[in-house]
Amino acid sequence: MKKSPIALLSLVAASALVLTGCGTTESTADSDSGAATIEVVDDRGETISLTGAATKVVALEWNAAESLVALGVMPTGVADVAGYADYVQAAPLDDTVTDVGGRGEPSVDAIAGLAPDLVVTTNDLSESAITQIEKIAPVLVIRAADTTDGIGQMEKNLGDIATLTGTEDEAATLISDMEAKIAEGAAAIEAAGLTGTTFALSDSYAYNGEITIRPFYKGALLSDVAEELGLVNGWEGEGDADYGLGAVDVEGLTALPADIKYLSFSAEDGDVYTNELAANPIWTSLPFVQSDDVYMLTVGIWPFGGPASIDVFVDSVVDSLTS
Amino acid sequence: MLGAVHLTQGSADVSPLDLFASLTGAPADQTTAILVASRLPRLMAGVLVGTALGVSGVLLQTVSRNILASPDTLAVNAGAYLAVVAVTVFGIALPVLAGGAVAFVGGLAAAALVLALSAGGGAGTIRLILAGSAIALALGSATTVLLLLFPERSIGLYAWGQGSIAQGGSSGVETFAPVVLVGLVVALAVTRGLDLLALGDDTASVLGVNVRRTQLVGVLVAVLLSAAAVSVAGPIGFVGLAAPAIARLIAARVPGMQRHILLLPAAAILGVIVVLGADVLLRIVFGGAAGVEVPTGVVTTIFGAVFLVALALRMRASSESAGRGLVGGRTVTTRRRVLVGLAAAALLLVVLVGSLLLGDSKLLGGDLVNWVTGRSGPIVDFVLETRSPRVVVAALAGAAFALAGAVVQAVSRNPLAEPAILGVTGGAGLGAVSVITLWPVAGFAVVTAGGLVGAVVAAVVVFGLAARGGFANNRLILIGLGVSSAAAAAVSMLIIATDPYNGAKALTWLSGSTYGRTADQLVPLAVTLVVALPVLLSARRELDLLAFDDDTPRVLGIRIAPARLGLLVVSVILTAAAVSAVGAIGFVGLVAPHAARALVGARHSAVLPVAALLGAILVCVADTLGRTLIAPAQLPAGLLTAVVGAPYFVWLLWRSRR
Repeated sequence: MKKSPIALLSLVAASALVLTGCGTTESTADSDSGAATIEVVDDRGETISLTGAATKVVALEWNAAESLVALGVMPTGVADVAGYADYVQAAPLDDTVTDVGGRGEPSVDAIAGLAPDLVVTTNDLSESAITQIEKIAPVLVIRAADTTDGIGQMEKNLGDIATLTGTEDEAATLISDMEAKIAEGAAAIEAAGLTGTTFALSDSYAYNGEITIRPFYKGALLSDVAEELGLVNGWEGEGDADYGLGAVDVEGLTALPADIKYLSFSAEDGDVYTNELAANPIWTSLPFVQSDDVYMLTVGIWPFGGPASIDVFVDSVVDSLTS
Repeated sequence: MLGAVHLTQGSADVSPLDLFASLTGAPADQTTAILVASRLPRLMAGVLVGTALGVSGVLLQTVSRNILASPDTLAVNAGAYLAVVAVTVFGIALPVLAGGAVAFVGGLAAAALVLALSAGGGAGTIRLILAGSAIALALGSATTVLLLLFPERSIGLYAWGQGSIAQGGSSGVETFAPVVLVGLVVALAVTRGLDLLALGDDTASVLGVNVRRTQLVGVLVAVLLSAAAVSVAGPIGFVGLAAPAIARLIAARVPGMQRHILLLPAAAILGVIVVLGADVLLRIVFGGAAGVEVPTGVVTTIFGAVFLVALALRMRASSESAGRGLVGGRTVTTRRRVLVGLAAAALLLVVLVGSLLLGDSKLLGGDLVNWVTGRSGPIVDFVLETRSPRVVVAALAGAAFALAGAVVQAVSRNPLAEPAILGVTGGAGLGAVSVITLWPVAGFAVVTAGGLVGAVVAAVVVFGLAARGGFANNRLILIGLGVSSAAAAAVSMLIIATDPYNGAKALTWLSGSTYGRTADQLVPLAVTLVVALPVLLSARRELDLLAFDDDTPRVLGIRIAPARLGLLVVSVILTAAAVSAVGAIGFVGLVAPHAARALVGARHSAVLPVAALLGAILVCVADTLGRTLIAPAQLPAGLLTAVVGAPYFVWLLWRSRR
């Protein structure tokens, strides 16, 4: 790929930002004081303190598992390992990871059996279950997502996990690489003259012939990342307060502007667009379908993940739009 | 007219004028596309489903000579849906029409089972409906178990078994329209036979009707139509009950309309009106895009449940009574009572120990001994510390439901009464979920209070409506079934509309679960039980007499009304406390008291403790299975009690026939 001067400039700028903004002094200060305690205040306002970096970590939500893998701390247990393998391909688990049950009701027995140093979950898990798990190990409760600051919440979650696992340097690298990746992507988008282009990011599924489309409104993590690339979110309206998602049917697509780039997540076993929608007159009447502006992203991008998923997403978006 | 309004509603911004213009041929590409690919298929699906269910309902009613017969109350829809889901989760990809054939087989099997159970039971029997509804509940639970066992192949909202008429295209409608058409033609061809069936088997035979053949044709066509409707839209609840009911109401005023040649089309039209009306209402209340999230079936179920209640009220009070199920002729010696009680207690002890040992991580007896003596390792410690509240809450809730059931059965003198079947459990669930939804930070005590309010409201509605004509009448059960269906649909709607990604919440409040219970959450339930058990035991004489008849207690100087009211209040409180602790676990209050009576006779001094022990055993076993079968994942305990309890209910019905 030919790099424009602007791309190089933004790379330099991003690196400078990373070097000054993300290097911490705290970890060295801690290691000096002998039996170091690591402390993090989580999204409940609870203080999690460990006497040393956690190495045996159980993740009850996939975003936490992905962050751990990316930080080089292979989790000992993850909820719904089979599902993770399908949906979070950016940071695969190895076969040492134990399945601890469903994400809604993980098995506390299985977690206890792993004798973890730390358990990471989101605030979607019921409070009483969190109370129980706290008897085995400290529990870091992260807010899975927050539409008021999608990328910021993701970085905070990654940072908290990194602090507790003693991998702050790796986290800093992940963030700086991600920012560089975004800057590089933005430059490529600009070079292709696509900055300011409107996009619509969606996920879709069909059941019994009925098609549901899940728009990623403003504030959803990946639609915010796409905005960082210099694109403009074409979905008008609001999703839920955490994930920024909603649900519309095929008709709802007619609300999108005509000159849109339609970006969609795709699944392993074929997708709604080639199966159910191919012969749907509304779909084929849409201007962006007629102008061939529908782009299927790489399979297995977890929309609520961390830097690893975001890197794949950025590559996929840039490749789709510029090639 | 309704169809026209229906066409104008949707998530796309299209004005009615544009739609009209494209209908009359003016070129407007996208509007036409919306009309052709989204609005019309949805409308056509509504018409198809409404027609099929309306006609199916009339056919089933005529054949069974029962105005409460319908694809829902005879379990046809539930059977068809279970078959469809079973095929899907086992990963068998079938062409659409073959899927419809599977639905037909499933629906037919369910209908055959229900009809066989009530065969020879005489005309107009309510037992048919009770058997059908219980089987429908069991099949529904089985469907949910399948969906939980194979989560990758199923999609969230459909786990709650509510159909929707939204369509991605016209292929589903096009495939099944001919099927429905054939069904309609056949139904219309046998209208004379159907008219004469209403006169009774003998009269119809004399008039030259082959009774058996007409009935068979009627049932087959009805199942065919329901299966087509389920294939297109999933189970859309109670349309097949409400539409024929309205048609018959009109027919009672219009001369000649009672003939099937007019009644069938009328029911078809009314079915369409109910389905489209529900869909239109949904979109008016929640906005144009709502149909994507809230399924049509939720609204029709609430609407139809009101009809079930209304029809039950119109039935003659004396028409049928469940009668003598309660006062068994068996005399049981005191020795036997004590022995059975001790045996049940011992069994509960075994079950409790087994429940503590089984689960995701299996323990051995030695671990338990170490734990009790405080010498266990940290993991065993933890596992038992988190598992023991679940085991205890299961036992307590089982005992509470069983006691509540025993009391309700005695007071209403109705062997089929049970908190879940009467809608009290559903009401408590709705109350608790409403509190959680409206006030997310509510503590456990407030949720319990919400459950109590819901339970009281449901109990007041059900018993208030059934009071005329006495509680012994099966009308009580029908009204309860209506209220519990409506409550379940309302819980679905609340959760889908406010917290659609939270499957665990929906499962707890629809199926019951002990997941994540901690010791402090047991307190309200434990206190309720500790207070209620002595109160009930001290009222054993009143319970015995109330269960016998109305006159004896009066003669013996017991004031019937206050005694009844007081006992019902205790049973409602027990139910609410149990539901707040573990969610909506059904059928325990039915199975445990009956089993107790079979073992120790009808005296409440023995029935109450033994029923409580048996209820505790039942829920403990169900919960342990749920924690163990697919570990580390979990199945809710309530699904397993329904799968066990509903057949028991049917067996009770079967036995009490003669």
